[in-house]
Amino acid sequence: MQLIAPLGALAALAIPLIILLYFLKVKRPEVRVATLVLWRRHLADRQANAPWQRLRWSVLLAVQLLAALLITAALVRPGVSGAAGVGKTTVVLLDASASMRATDAAPDRFGAAVARTRQLANSLAPGEEMAIILMGDHSQLLAAPTSDSAALGSALDRVRPGGGTSDLAEGISLANAILSGRPGGSIILLGDGHSRPPVVPPRVVAPLTYVPVGYSDQNSAIETLSRAGAGTLFLRVANYGRQARDLKVEMYADGRLADVLPVHVDGNSSSDLSWTRLPADAQLVEARLTPPDVLGIDDEAWLLTGAPPARAVLLVTDENGFMARALSLRPGVKVTTVAPKDYRPGAYDLYVFDRFVPPGKLPEPALVIDPPAGLGPVPAGPPIDPGAVLPANPRDPLLTDVDLRDVHVQVAARVTAPAGWRTVIAAVGAPLLLAHEGEPRVAELTFDIHHSDLPLRAAFPILVDNLLSYLLPGGFENQSFALGQPVTLAAEAGATEVDVTTPDGRVSRLRPPLAPFTDTQTPGVYGVRQVVPGGARLSRFVVQFVDPSLSRVAPGAAAIPIEDNDLRKVPAAPRGTLELWPWLVAGVLVLLVAEWLIYLRGR
Amino acid sequence: MLTAAELTLLSRLDLAYRRSRNGLYAGERRSPRAARSPEFSDFRPYVPGDDFRQIDWRAYARLERLTLRLYVAEEEACLNVVLDASESMALGTPPKWPAARRLAAALGFLGLAAMDRVTLGTLDGRFLPPLRGRDGVGRMWQFLAGLEPAGESGPDGLARLRWARPGMTVVVSDFMAADEEGMAADWSPALAAVGGRRQEPVLWQVLAPDEERPWITGDLKLVDPETRRDREMTITPAVVADYGRALAALRSRLARASEAAGGRFISSESDADLERHMLAGLRAGVLRRG
Repeated sequence: MQLIAPLGALAALAIPLIILLYFLKVKRPEVRVATLVLWRRHLADRQANAPWQRLRWSVLLAVQLLAALLITAALVRPGVSGAAGVGKTTVVLLDASASMRATDAAPDRFGAAVARTRQLANSLAPGEEMAIILMGDHSQLLAAPTSDSAALGSALDRVRPGGGTSDLAEGISLANAILSGRPGGSIILLGDGHSRPPVVPPRVVAPLTYVPVGYSDQNSAIETLSRAGAGTLFLRVANYGRQARDLKVEMYADGRLADVLPVHVDGNSSSDLSWTRLPADAQLVEARLTPPDVLGIDDEAWLLTGAPPARAVLLVTDENGFMARALSLRPGVKVTTVAPKDYRPGAYDLYVFDRFVPPGKLPEPALVIDPPAGLGPVPAGPPIDPGAVLPANPRDPLLTDVDLRDVHVQVAARVTAPAGWRTVIAAVGAPLLLAHEGEPRVAELTFDIHHSDLPLRAAFPILVDNLLSYLLPGGFENQSFALGQPVTLAAEAGATEVDVTTPDGRVSRLRPPLAPFTDTQTPGVYGVRQVVPGGARLSRFVVQFVDPSLSRVAPGAAAIPIEDNDLRKVPAAPRGTLELWPWLVAGVLVLLVAEWLIYLRGR
Repeated sequence: MLTAAELTLLSRLDLAYRRSRNGLYAGERRSPRAARSPEFSDFRPYVPGDDFRQIDWRAYARLERLTLRLYVAEEEACLNVVLDASESMALGTPPKWPAARRLAAALGFLGLAAMDRVTLGTLDGRFLPPLRGRDGVGRMWQFLAGLEPAGESGPDGLARLRWARPGMTVVVSDFMAADEEGMAADWSPALAAVGGRRQEPVLWQVLAPDEERPWITGDLKLVDPETRRDREMTITPAVVADYGRALAALRSRLARASEAAGGRFISSESDADLERHMLAGLRAGVLRRG
């Protein structure tokens, strides 16, 4: 037993005050009556000549003293250590994946799930607690376990659905952490079953109840919008519902309706279209699917027809055909390959040094591959066998769509990531790819790609493209990014500030060095205005929702891979303090009611 | 004191005496004794010793028998109006005192209008010498206007009254006096004394509506302004109900005591107009339509 607020004992001063009040006589108002005779049978045998009276035993006095005692006890907040968790704890997993934007529930699936969570919060019984976990790209604890429904409601006020999928394993892991040591807890998953399925079936420490939200599977989407040649666009329209649909695709060129394409799509299939009437001078093409369906974010697609600006890349190597080829895959990139002995700094947008580091200051931006021992922006150490290749952070923008599971590295240099650098690809023994945070933009691969099977993997050209997006200034221009994906905004040389305008008109002002732009939850065209010496440079990029797994909105389509296990049988470790004040306050209320009844009976 | 409309109302009413009159002077009240008066009563045969002045000679001419012509005897009656002018009469909402004083004025007016001998006084011994005829109305009202409720009075004052004459004695009071022990005063001995003086006692109780049905509640200190005693009480609906029962018991005792003395008991409220007071008198048989 412990007292959390011992100062509350000061409330005990009320006890002598109550007794003092019983010594005092009541000052009664005087009423003149014609006679006391008729009232005589009810006269109290007390004379009003003295302000004090003898203390008389009274049930009311006893009840009031007991109530004061209980109030004092409640104010000092007594608690029993190690007995927490007696009250039931409910953890609500709130699915915030993009499919929760479907409008087959009012106002939409996410809104309905929030309303249901709010309803659960408002119906908490005394002693019960609730925690809320928002499952988006990352699961986050929205509200720690609390019995305060107002706090839970306040946390729910600021949530909104994300643009990607949700990580069920992460959410359950967080729920397990909360419920650890709280026997009698439960987990409620509110969603449409489109969470990213865990690789390994997760373990749960409490019963999990899946409450599906939504019912419809009627959704179509524009899966692909790309250039197929001069004046021709390629579209793929998918129907994720069971019933065939006759749809129309409205084609807008620079905001003006240019064409309407009818398309018939069978259930659970897709149809490909070619549009050959692209105006020659059109800069922005928008395809809009009609009629609308339950999920609107996949009914639109945008394409910026302008080619990214030409970028000059100097590859300094004795021989690295893999890298030269990978670099040249990116549109607008012109690769110049020179031997180290012929290296001369020039007007290049990017330098790639393969097994070579120029003397003096390293030109920027630069990608350094397998620098000689003791050289390089991050000095290379002795060679080691790095072992398994792992992503340091799977959500690093440089590793988007890069699958490293079948990549092996034979030998790499032992390096230690200095301050200001982050490890992108790690191995057991040492980092394999490091990137400098912010300016200057420099990256270093600590191994010779010829001593690995990386160039033979699909991950290689994607990794190189991601590196180019990061290292090349303006790598985002006219590009298309997935909804919610961070966009690496490389500032032009000399840029003092960068304004990013979202499709809904919000402007974010950034200053170099630029962190990845993360406010990409709204699909559409984003404008970028860079203030450079002599004026401003305008560019655009597109964010759109393309995720067939989330466009397939039928609830419950994804299995919930939950398996019960013995964890819930493990006795809870004593933790926290069980506060007793709610019971004391309940006792006070009972006493107050009893006092009132006694008073009424006395009358 | 009274309005013209109220005087008109009173002109249609008369006092209903129960006891035989025994006035010193001839009046307008019918007497059980036959006498000379303008009002014919009956015939009876002449017997020796009768006043031959009462022989109806016209009847003798027609019937050749001596017949006496009888007339209703008219005597004056005595009305004693005794007003309770104690301090408790100033209480109530509306106060009882104005209603009681107007009631006394109305009764006195009825007596004076009937050429009765009217004596007006208070329980504490103040009184106006007997009046007769309407000429006395002004003096009576002047006397009443000069009275203010003060002090304490009870049945002892009624028993000690010396100015009341045989006839009808109307006591206008709230009858809420207490004895020295704080118990309800017993009016029986005083009423017996009144009856013994050949007076017909009429107890006319005037109470305020809030004394009939008290609406006070809560923790109060009740003060009797006459005895200066006080009591602390918590007034609840149950207590008020018991008060009502005690008041009913008091009225029952007063009615029994007055009837035992050959009188009557009337009750009316202070918020009633004069017409309703008179209706109460009519119902009790103290008044009759003139």
